[in-house]
Amino acid sequence: MNKTKKLVASISKLLRRRTCYPSTFRCNPLATIAFNHLSRDSLQPCSAKPLAISVSGLRLSGRAFCSKRSSVCWNCGFSSEKAAFLFCDSCRSIQPVDDSVDYFQIFGLENKYELDAGSLEGKYKDWQKKLHPDLVHNKSKKERDYAAEQSAKVTEACRTLTKRLSRAMYIMKLNGININEEETLTDPELLMEIMELREAIAESKDSNALNQIRSQVQEKLKQWSDSFLEAFESQRFDEAVKCIQRMTYYERACEEIVKKL
Amino acid sequence: MAEPAYTVASDSENTGEEKSSSSPSLPEIAVGIDIGTSQCSIAVWNGSQVHILRNTRNQKLIKSFVTFKDEVPAGGVSNQLSHEQEMLTGAAIFNMKRLIGRVDTDPVVHASKNLPFFVQTLDIGVRPFIAALVNNAWRSTTPEEVLAIFLVELRLMAETQLKRAVRNVVLTVPVSFSRFQLTRMERACAMAGLHVLRLMPEPTAIALLYAQQQQMTTHENMGSGSERLAVIFNIGAGYCDVAVTATAGGVSQIKSLAGNAIGGEDILQNTMRYIAPPNKEASGLLRVATQDAIHRLSSQENVQIEVDLGDGDMVSKVLDRLEFEEVNEKVFQECERLVVQCLRDARVESGDIDDVIMVGGCSCIPKVRAILKNVCKKDEIYKDVNPLEAAVRGAALEGAVTSGIHDPFGSLDLLTIQATALAVGVRANGNKFVPVIPRNTMVPARKDLFFTTVHDDQKEALIVVCEGEGETVEENHLLGFFKIVGIPPSQKGVPEINVCMDIDASNALRVFAAVLMPGSKSPVVPVVEVRMPTVDDGHGWCAQALNVKYGSTLDLITLQRKM
Repeated sequence: MNKTKKLVASISKLLRRRTCYPSTFRCNPLATIAFNHLSRDSLQPCSAKPLAISVSGLRLSGRAFCSKRSSVCWNCGFSSEKAAFLFCDSCRSIQPVDDSVDYFQIFGLENKYELDAGSLEGKYKDWQKKLHPDLVHNKSKKERDYAAEQSAKVTEACRTLTKRLSRAMYIMKLNGININEEETLTDPELLMEIMELREAIAESKDSNALNQIRSQVQEKLKQWSDSFLEAFESQRFDEAVKCIQRMTYYERACEEIVKKL
Repeated sequence: MAEPAYTVASDSENTGEEKSSSSPSLPEIAVGIDIGTSQCSIAVWNGSQVHILRNTRNQKLIKSFVTFKDEVPAGGVSNQLSHEQEMLTGAAIFNMKRLIGRVDTDPVVHASKNLPFFVQTLDIGVRPFIAALVNNAWRSTTPEEVLAIFLVELRLMAETQLKRAVRNVVLTVPVSFSRFQLTRMERACAMAGLHVLRLMPEPTAIALLYAQQQQMTTHENMGSGSERLAVIFNIGAGYCDVAVTATAGGVSQIKSLAGNAIGGEDILQNTMRYIAPPNKEASGLLRVATQDAIHRLSSQENVQIEVDLGDGDMVSKVLDRLEFEEVNEKVFQECERLVVQCLRDARVESGDIDDVIMVGGCSCIPKVRAILKNVCKKDEIYKDVNPLEAAVRGAALEGAVTSGIHDPFGSLDLLTIQATALAVGVRANGNKFVPVIPRNTMVPARKDLFFTTVHDDQKEALIVVCEGEGETVEENHLLGFFKIVGIPPSQKGVPEINVCMDIDASNALRVFAAVLMPGSKSPVVPVVEVRMPTVDDGHGWCAQALNVKYGSTLDLITLQRKM
């Protein structure tokens, strides 16, 4: 999922740039507010939020404001203190994408790796009931575009936070560390293990054997996820990156098993 | 002779432009239409609930057919047949949903050749020749034209009753319809002066109705509105569809879809072949008698069939349920396969299912019900939907929701989050189909894949876009193709060709292709954007023609990912 994002020139990005409608955003009072807050915000480690890379310069100013702020509805001027102001409760219009809002804020969660993935689904559906492009059929082209972008962002947020691996990579990114998924492995022990695992998957004939491997792999995934949490919380980021690498391989093995099942 | 009461616009009328037409100040509530292979219905949100319209004979279910008599066609909405057999004289065309958008190499078209009207195939990948018998001569027509004539009648009927112009519609379609077939449905609607707001896979329309019902019951109980998992199984005359949906708070999220062109028509033909005397062509009389027998078998253990076929040929036979089930074993196996696949794709265990919903004309066949109960491990089938009305009710709800109608009681506080029914991808790695957006991906969706050249100094690459589940290109539906030109001369495997596919909320598919060279951050040639499908009728032979012309000279392979 994230591999495409890594490539700076990936098409999705080029398109994103094309399909966003910055003109209205630029006229938005938000941008001015953002600058007022810049000095305070610059003290905080806001670096390298993932979506911000792909959009135009002025949008970057949007990301600079952090948790405490008020947002103003583009349509009715209603002012909201919500961290994730995606939708105006006053006039029911959808707001433009604000790249400073991270995935955790969308779901009203603290910026923590550990979370109850089951709780995301309900919140996700609540958002879609407000933001889904199907519901703004009769509204302006501008708002329909906002709907498309916001709804896609919420979907991506849900997808990212649901899975351990993508959540780990995302939280690292929020802390300014980008993970290179394609990095070659140097640890011979891990290489050996992966080769054996792949062989075992390739050789297993029936679904019972595969399911057995799968539960083993999932157990490992869980273990490394725990190690990641520990490393991340004590800010040992190099170690955290290693954990993510492991998780990546186990996740891929899982995918392979599911494909065969 | 009276003036024909319809006008069918030219087949070439442009449908793409109309979508952008500005919406009127007062939103017109779109009507929901369920075009079935054998029966059809139309419904609309009347301000407080869904109202199903009736024709002049007080029928909610209207037979889908058009008769061509004296050059003036008349559809099943206004036309009254003196006898059911009149439908079987060759003058009436029906089962259009089975034939629309299919080429003459398609097995479904071949299976339609023994219908009473004329279906001829040349097996060269063009549209089949379809004709009705008018004054002892064959009058050729197309599935789109027949559907359009029928839809015009439906529209006129609705306009008379609703006392307003009817233009916007939500139509239900089978899950297994390719995007090409969907464009043919849109074309038929355009010919009938209707603008398609949404083409909903049938089970997803039912999912919306179910979401509404669930929301109403949670409102009453003031419950927490926890998520409910439902399996929706729809089997009509022409198609079988399955969906798994997760519903909470009026939002129905489609987890997976599966479908195939099997249904009552196959069951009918298998059974007819079984009871017909040897060397006797299937006749209209036998068709009617068999249909009747199948209906009765749903409530009886065995039925007596007595038909006088003329020329001294008599059929007198007792058919019991077990025989019937054996004769149609393959159809039932396919039903089961679809349900199993759908559950697996949704990653749902049978123990987690809250409700099993069965709809469609064939859903009352005891064997089909037994299969569903067995696979889903449920003793009961959901009872709160009418199997013959659920789809059109769902479509009418969607029509109201997409028209932006707000209901003070929250009855329209609904949403369907759709998933792709078929994978879309490109031809690569030889003649393989490589999916870019896999099936059951949530819509809207955007995904991309990287490919590279197979020859040194390959300057051009052919992007062949297909849809389906087959491994090779031929097994899938061809949607279109275009060429990327201007790839800088380099060794094979060096240029990175990025193919991105985007499905927006209105289910439109766009394909983007860009060429990147290692080190450069922007595409070396302008990004190509193509809206799919681009193919027109007769596309069946296109892939073959491309193969003959270009062989593997413009091929692509997937860029290898390290593991």
